[in-house]
Amino acid sequence: MTNRLRVLRAERGWSQADLAGHLGVSRQTVNAIETGKYDPSLPLAFRLSAVFGLPIEAIFEPGEGPDGVVPARA
Amino acid sequence: MTETTTGAWDEARCDGTPEDARNRRRFAVWCLAWAAAFVAATLLLDGGVVPPGAATWVVAVAPSLIGLAAIRSYVTFVRGADELVRRIQLESLAWGFGAGVLFQMGYRLLERAGAPTLDLNDGLLVMVVVWAAAQLAITRRYR
Repeated sequence: MTNRLRVLRAERGWSQADLAGHLGVSRQTVNAIETGKYDPSLPLAFRLSAVFGLPIEAIFEPGEGPDGVVPARA
Repeated sequence: MTETTTGAWDEARCDGTPEDARNRRRFAVWCLAWAAAFVAATLLLDGGVVPPGAATWVVAVAPSLIGLAAIRSYVTFVRGADELVRRIQLESLAWGFGAGVLFQMGYRLLERAGAPTLDLNDGLLVMVVVWAAAQLAITRRYR
């Protein structure tokens, strides 16, 4: 899965720590998501969606995940 | 590329959130208490200081009660942890448990082949050491 987290965060002038504070997670988690090393859980994806005021699909795009798993398409 | 920031969140970059760090410290304190109680009970029982009877059983069981509190604090830590920390713990436990079982079972065959006989506790030691090492390695991978 790829994401636009870094761009969206930069647009708002937030640091990773700021975003982590908004989400209630660690900065390490935000960094791991941004670098594509970790795919967030669905609840966290919804929190990201709420924080940025965007639908989830505007933040994340399906693709090969960090575990090398390619999601099935309908 | 890792962004550098300041503040409590950055301080906690390896420990998850500040709450995770607190829960982790609580778990560490319980583990130390359990280890101290275990050593003390061993010394008391081996030294024959405890009078035979009920007191012996109390001394033998007491460390395990502290151990139960340590387990409870670990479960509390994992349940409340930041989701990446939970992921790291899950993967570390998988490595630790797998290595412990593999060593325990695999070494039985090596003993039959002529390797020196080991204590049952050696398998547990492998489990704990691999669990701890895996935490460090996996945390680094997600950094």
